[in-house]
Amino acid sequence: MAIDRIFKDEASEEKGERARMSSFVGAMAIADLVKTTLGPKGMDKILQSTGRGREVTVTNDGATILKSLHIDNPAAKVLVDISKVQDDEVGDGTTSVVVLAGELLREAEKLVAAKIHPMTIIAGFRMAVECARNALLEKVVDNKGDTEKFRSDLMNIARTTLSSKILSQDKEHFAKLAVDAVMRLKGSTNLESIQIIKKPGGSLIDSFLDEGFILDKKIGIGQPKRIEKAKILVANTAMDTDKVKIYGARVRVDSMAKVAEIEGAEKDKMREKVEKIIGHGINCFVNRQLIYNFPEELFADAGVLAIEHADFDGIERLALVTGGEIASTFDNPESVKLGHCDLIEEIMIGEDKLIKFSGVAMGQACTIVLRGASHHVLDEAERSLHDALCVLSQTVNDSRVLLGGGWPEMVMAKEVDALARKTPGKKSLAMEAFSRALLAIPTIIADNAGLDSAELISQLRAEHQTEGCTAGIDVISGSVGDMAERGICEAFKVKNAVLLSATEAAEMILRVDEIITCAPRRREDRM
Amino acid sequence: MATIAAPQHRSSKTESYVDNKRKEDVRHANIIAARSVANAVRTSLGPKGMDKMISTSSNEVIITNDGATILNKMKVLQPAAKMLVELSKSQDSAAGDGTTTVVVIAGALLEKCLLLLSHGIHPTVVSDSLHKASVKAVDVLTAMAVPVELSDRDSLVKSASTSLNSKVVSQYSSLLAPLAVDSVLSVVDPAQPEMVDLRDVKIVKKLGGTVDDTELVNGLVFDKKVSHAAGGPTRMENAKIAVIQFQISPPKTDIEQSIVVSDYAQMDRILKEERSYILGMIKKIKATGCNVLLIQKSILRDAVTDLSLHYLAKAKILVIKDVERDEIEFIIKTLNCLPIANIEHFRAEKLGYADLVEEVSLGDGKIVKISGIKDMGKTTTVLVRGSNLLVLDEAERSLHDALCVVRCLVAKRFLIAGGGAPEIELSRQLGAWAKVLHGMEGYCIRAFAEALEVVPYTLAENAGLNPIAIVTELRNRHANGEINTGINVRKGQITNILEENVVQPLLVSTSAITLATECVRMILKIDDIVTVR
Repeated sequence: MAIDRIFKDEASEEKGERARMSSFVGAMAIADLVKTTLGPKGMDKILQSTGRGREVTVTNDGATILKSLHIDNPAAKVLVDISKVQDDEVGDGTTSVVVLAGELLREAEKLVAAKIHPMTIIAGFRMAVECARNALLEKVVDNKGDTEKFRSDLMNIARTTLSSKILSQDKEHFAKLAVDAVMRLKGSTNLESIQIIKKPGGSLIDSFLDEGFILDKKIGIGQPKRIEKAKILVANTAMDTDKVKIYGARVRVDSMAKVAEIEGAEKDKMREKVEKIIGHGINCFVNRQLIYNFPEELFADAGVLAIEHADFDGIERLALVTGGEIASTFDNPESVKLGHCDLIEEIMIGEDKLIKFSGVAMGQACTIVLRGASHHVLDEAERSLHDALCVLSQTVNDSRVLLGGGWPEMVMAKEVDALARKTPGKKSLAMEAFSRALLAIPTIIADNAGLDSAELISQLRAEHQTEGCTAGIDVISGSVGDMAERGICEAFKVKNAVLLSATEAAEMILRVDEIITCAPRRREDRM
Repeated sequence: MATIAAPQHRSSKTESYVDNKRKEDVRHANIIAARSVANAVRTSLGPKGMDKMISTSSNEVIITNDGATILNKMKVLQPAAKMLVELSKSQDSAAGDGTTTVVVIAGALLEKCLLLLSHGIHPTVVSDSLHKASVKAVDVLTAMAVPVELSDRDSLVKSASTSLNSKVVSQYSSLLAPLAVDSVLSVVDPAQPEMVDLRDVKIVKKLGGTVDDTELVNGLVFDKKVSHAAGGPTRMENAKIAVIQFQISPPKTDIEQSIVVSDYAQMDRILKEERSYILGMIKKIKATGCNVLLIQKSILRDAVTDLSLHYLAKAKILVIKDVERDEIEFIIKTLNCLPIANIEHFRAEKLGYADLVEEVSLGDGKIVKISGIKDMGKTTTVLVRGSNLLVLDEAERSLHDALCVVRCLVAKRFLIAGGGAPEIELSRQLGAWAKVLHGMEGYCIRAFAEALEVVPYTLAENAGLNPIAIVTELRNRHANGEINTGINVRKGQITNILEENVVQPLLVSTSAITLATECVRMILKIDDIVTVR
C-alpha cells in the first residue's frame, strides 16, 4: 500500500462491486419508501420535521416526500432529482418514476450478479425503451379535433390523477373544477393565473371555482366596499414620509415651531404623494407596503378604495390579471399602466372577509377556493389539485391520451418481450428484465390495494394477448376490468416522461463503478 | 437503508425495515397515541363532566372543560396525536361547540378500526366504508332535525343553555344563554341573514363581582380608565365622540431632528411654543364641539402628554387613551363615525354621537361605558364578570361556545335533540343498514355504528350512572320508535330529551361526525412516519 493517500484526509472511495452495491441499495431503499403511496389505494406518509415546531405534514405526493428527506446516498439523490424534474415538467407521476427506476435497478442487480456487463445491460435497456415508446405511440388516442370528446378525456385524466389523492372521495367535483380552470387558460401552461386560496373550515366538497381574482386582505376603514368599473393602480411604495436615506442625516432647528413646520412639511409630502396617486384617475389603490392612518384617511375622503400590505405574490398576480403594471413612482401618470376590472367587492368565505375582483382584463384568470377540515387536509388538497392542474394543462397542449390502470405497462411489456425473443445475444436478457420491471408497477398497485397481485397480473397478461385489448386492474372492484369503459385515462406525456427519465436515471446509476466521497469541510466548534 | 434517517418513534421490536410488520406497527402506534389523547378529554364530556386543571410552562393555571382548550394546551408531540388536536380546532372553527365530542368520537372510531385491521381488512376498505357511513349518518341526522325559526327565541335559548350546561358556569346558564342569543341576533345583518361575524360581538372581561353580574351592554365598553390627569371630566352627557389616529403631543418628525438651545431665554421660548402648539390643536378640537376623545395608541411617540391632558381637561374634554389600532374598526362601526388621522381633517361630520359617556367603578377597576349611541352599528358588547381570573376566563370560553351555537343556528336553522339521543339513533339506523350490505363494507359500518355509542356511554359514565344499563335501555327505547329519548343527566334517567329542552344545533352534530371521520380516515391511511428536515 504505497499510495494509499491519494485523497485528502477523511475522503473515502468505494470501488467496483462495492460502489455499485451501495448505489443499488440506496436507490432501492428510496423506491421502497415511496412504493406504498402508488395507486388509488396507496397509503400516506407523515413527514415529521425535526426543525422548530416539529411540524407535521401528511402527504401522498411522491415529490413532496422525497424533497424533504435527509439523504446521504448519492444514488438515492439521483432518484430524488428525477422526481423533482418530473414534478416540474409534467407535475404528476412523481412516484411512478422513482418506483420504475428502482425496479429497473433491482432487475439490473440480478443481471450484474449473473456476470453481464453493465454496458450490455444499458444497451438492452436502450433498445427496450425505444420499443416500449413506439408501442405506446401506436396505441395513443388523440381527440383534439372533437371538443366534446376532448373534454371527456380531460375529465377522465383529472379523475384518474385525483383518485390516488386525498380528494378521491370528491373527485368528480374537483375534476370538474380543475378542467374548468384549465380550459380557461386556453392552451397556456402558465398556472400563475390560477390562484389557489386555502381557508380552513367547511369540508372539501365546499370548495369552489370563482372567476376573477380574490385577495386575502381587508379594505381600509371608511372606504367604499364595492366599486364598479374599477381602475386599479398596483404599487410598491412606502406611504410614510420619504426619508433622507443618508445615514446620520438630521435636522437642526432652534425652535419648536420649526419642528412643527417640518412635521407639517412631512405631512404635506404624504398628502402630495396621495394626491399624485389619486391624480391617476383611479378608484382602487393596492399597495404592497403599509398605508398609514393619514394617507388612508385621505384615500377614504377621495372615495378611493385602498388596500394595504398585499403580499408580494398577491400584487404580482393582481397586476398580471388586471393588466396593470406595478408602479413605484407617480410623477408621470401617462406612463403608468392601470389595471381594470368590472367589479370589486367584499365577500365572505367562512369567517373571513376577502376582496374579490371580478371581470378582470385577463379573462383566463380564476381562483379556486379550497375548504377543508384542517391545515393538513388543505395543504394536501392543494398539492393534489396542483398535480391535476399540471397534468391537464400539459394535456391541453399534447392531447394524446392513454388508458390507465396498468394498461400501458402491460402493452409495453408485451412488445418488449416480443422484441427480446427476436434479439440474439445477451441484450435480450436485459430486455426481459426491462419488461419485468414494467410489470412491477401494476403489481405494486395491486399489492397496495391488498389484492392478490400474482393472480391479477397473470390474468391481465393473458387478456393482453388478444389484439386491441383494453384490460387493466380495476382497484375498486379488485379485478381485471375494461379501462376504456371505466374511463381511466392517463396523459401520454406523463407516461412518456416516466419511462424516459426512469430509464435514464437507472442507466446513470448503473454506469457508476466508483464513489468518491469528499471530506466535509471541518467546522470550527463555536459552541 | 442506513441512508434514510431512522424515524424517532420506532418500536423496539423491529430494528430495521421489515416489510409489512413495520407498517402495521406505525399504524398501531398512531392509533394508540391518538386514542390516548381522546381518553384524556373523555371525562370532561357532558353536563356532569369534570374539568381539567392545566398548568402551563409559564406556571399559569387554567381550569377548563372546553375540549379545544385542553388539547391546545396539552403540547402533544406524537404526529397522529397532533392530528386529533387539529381536529378539535377545526370543530371549534366550524361549529364552535362539540370540541370534546368530536375527539371522543374519533377515539372510539379508532378503537374499532384497530379491531377491524387486526381481522386483516385493508385500511383503504375501512376508510371508504367509514366515509360512506358518515354520509349516511349526516342524512339520518338531518332527517331527525327539527327546523327552527330565528324568531323563536325560546328554542335558541334552549340550545345555548344545553351548551352552557356542561361548563363551569352551568348554574348561570339561565342568564348567559339569553344573553348569547340576544347578542348574536342583534348583529345579524339583514342583507346577509346567514352570515354572522362573531367579531361584531365584543367580550370585555372584568375581574370582580360574580358571573351573575355579566351583562349585555347596549353600546360600547372600554376596559380602560378615563384619563384623570388634572381633574378632567369623567361623565359626559350628549357626547360628541371623535376617534383620532394622530397624537396630541409636541411635534416629532420622521427624520431625526434636534433642537439647538443656545441660551436660557431660548429655552423658555421653546417651552412656550410647545404649549401654544398643543393649545392650538385643542382649540381646533374644541371648535367642532367634540367633548369625548378616543386616542389610538401610538408606538412612535406619546399619544398624549401630561401637558396636553391638562389642556384637554381644562377644555372639558373626556379622554380615553391607548385604544388599539385593531379595535378602531369595531369602534367606528359601533359609533357610526369616521377615524380622524390629522388635525386638519377634524370636522364635525366625522364625529359620533351618544347620550352618555361615563366612567363606572366595577370592583377594583373602572370601565368606560358609552350608551345611547345615535345610529348605532350592528355590534354588541358583553361585559363578563367573575370572582377570579380562572372563572372569568372559563366564563368567556363558555360564552364563546354559546355564541357559536347560536351562530350555527343562524347559519343552518335546524335543531336536534341532545343527551346522546342522536348518537343512539344513528347507531341503530346504521346498524340496520349494515345488515343489508354485502362484504367488508357491512362489517365496517357496523363497527362505525357501535363506535357511536361511546357518546351516551360516556355521558352516563361521567354522570355516575350505570353506563351499560343506560345504553341498553336507550337502544331498547329507540328500537321502539322513541327516537328522541336520551339521557337526562340531571334526573339520572332516560326521558324524552326534546321535552326536557336539551337541544343542540344540527350543525354541531353533523360537523362532529364528518370531521371525526375525516380525521380517522387520514390516520388510517398513514403507513409510515418519515423524519425530514
